[in-house]
Amino acid sequence: MKSLKLLISLIVFALFLSVGIGNSIADEKKGKALVESKKCGSCHKMQGPPDKTIADVLKRKAPDLFYAGSKFKIEWLEGFLQKPTMIRPAGTVYVNNIKMGEKKDEIGDVKPCTSALSKDEAHEVAEYLMTMKEPTMKTGVIVDDKFSKAKAKVLFGQKEGCSGCHRDKADSGGTSCPTLYNAGERLNPDWVFDFLKNPQKYDPKIWMPRRELSDEDFMLLAKLIASMK
Amino acid sequence: MKKVSLMVLSVMFLGLMITPLAVAEKAEDNYKLYCFQCHGSKGSGGGINAAALSTAPRDHTSATEMKKLTDENIFTAIKEGGAAVSKSTFMPPWKSILTDDEIKDMVKYLHGLCKC
Ligand code: HEC
Ligand code: HEC
Ligand code: HEC
Repeated sequence: MKSLKLLISLIVFALFLSVGIGNSIADEKKGKALVESKKCGSCHKMQGPPDKTIADVLKRKAPDLFYAGSKFKIEWLEGFLQKPTMIRPAGTVYVNNIKMGEKKDEIGDVKPCTSALSKDEAHEVAEYLMTMKEPTMKTGVIVDDKFSKAKAKVLFGQKEGCSGCHRDKADSGGTSCPTLYNAGERLNPDWVFDFLKNPQKYDPKIWMPRRELSDEDFMLLAKLIASMK
Repeated sequence: MKKVSLMVLSVMFLGLMITPLAVAEKAEDNYKLYCFQCHGSKGSGGGINAAALSTAPRDHTSATEMKKLTDENIFTAIKEGGAAVSKSTFMPPWKSILTDDEIKDMVKYLHGLCKC
């Protein structure tokens, strides 16, 4: 009798689960169709490989999305796709957007992503983007525990010069690259760790050189970035 | 006919063999994408990141500044970063992006910028 009850509840559970999975597969499919009909691929690379020459990088209109499922947090994606905010103060390829001065360069006109999806569409597209993974990335590496923020900040701001290119606050830091002051909401910490270890794996010509640090230091940096909210 | 297609194939194969994995870029293009951000589009230190750096980026157009450095010095600074030549760590190491040959070309390019 007991085992029958167990069996029934197991079957019910399995049914429940498959309906859940079925739903998200349906969402992914709708998401894929939306990405096509909204022509996201006219600006973003939706498929690898990444650009291999500077000439190609200079033609890039928007960041690559073919590893979006490893890079982003789904909650952030859903919000962003409805109402995009600026991530890169000088645009996708900064060098295309600067006004070149005799003494000093300035940032010209830059615009955010043009995605303007409804809440439901954003959910479906986000589900689809989350299926696009970088196969070599390890997951479960960066755990949410205590770390020395002071040590991580010294790495970020002084020893490794990260702040020279990235804003860690709304009004301080470099502008040629993505702002990081809200990166904790945007980025998957495991991806950040993997990216820091070798940015050129994702984008061979990207203007962020690799630093040679211990895994421990890379982890500290990934945790610091995860805490930037 | 068979012979010709075999020849075409082997030529194609050879072509594949000798194509280097990464294309060597021109120093001018490397400087534009990687160095403008801090050293500026004129090389005079006025890049869009300059305000965020605690040490000003070297003015590559200044003969007086650049003459203080040997070619070896410049090569090491670019390849290994500022820290390797006891300068600011805000000058990053570029060896993960630029090959030794590209860095040698870059040293020559910098001599052109300072006319020295
Ligand atoms: C007209 C060109 C254009 C189109 C079309 C477009 N985007 Fe974008 N998108 C951009 C640009 C430019 C950025 C970079 C914005 C920034 O960094 O501030 C961006 C950024 C993004 C990002 C963040 C990427 C990152 O690495 O930071 C995502 C995700 C994104 N877009 C998704 C989409 C989706 C999904 C669609 C289709 C519904 C779409 N975009 C359509 C231009 C476009
Ligand atoms: C010379 C400039 C430069 C320096 C120095 C630099 N970065 Fe970057 N960083 C970049 C560029 C360029 C990108 C990629 C831009 C893109 O995807 O459009 C990037 C991307 C990132 C990203 C992903 C952000 C996103 O939303 O796509 C993180 C995280 C990051 N860097 C952290 C760091 C850390 C930590 C350091 C210090 C160890 C550092 N960076 C030093 C230029 C730099
Ligand atoms: C993130 C900002 C940044 C970027 C990007 C950058 N530099 Fe620098 N560079 C600096 C700073 C800051 C200094 C000054 C170091 C000092 O005086 O302590 C410097 C100094 C130098 C020097 C002088 C070194 C010495 O021994 O005095 C050379 C040469 C140089 N950079 C070349 C380059 C080249 C070539 C590139 C592009 C491949 C580049 N830099 C990219 C920030 C940068």
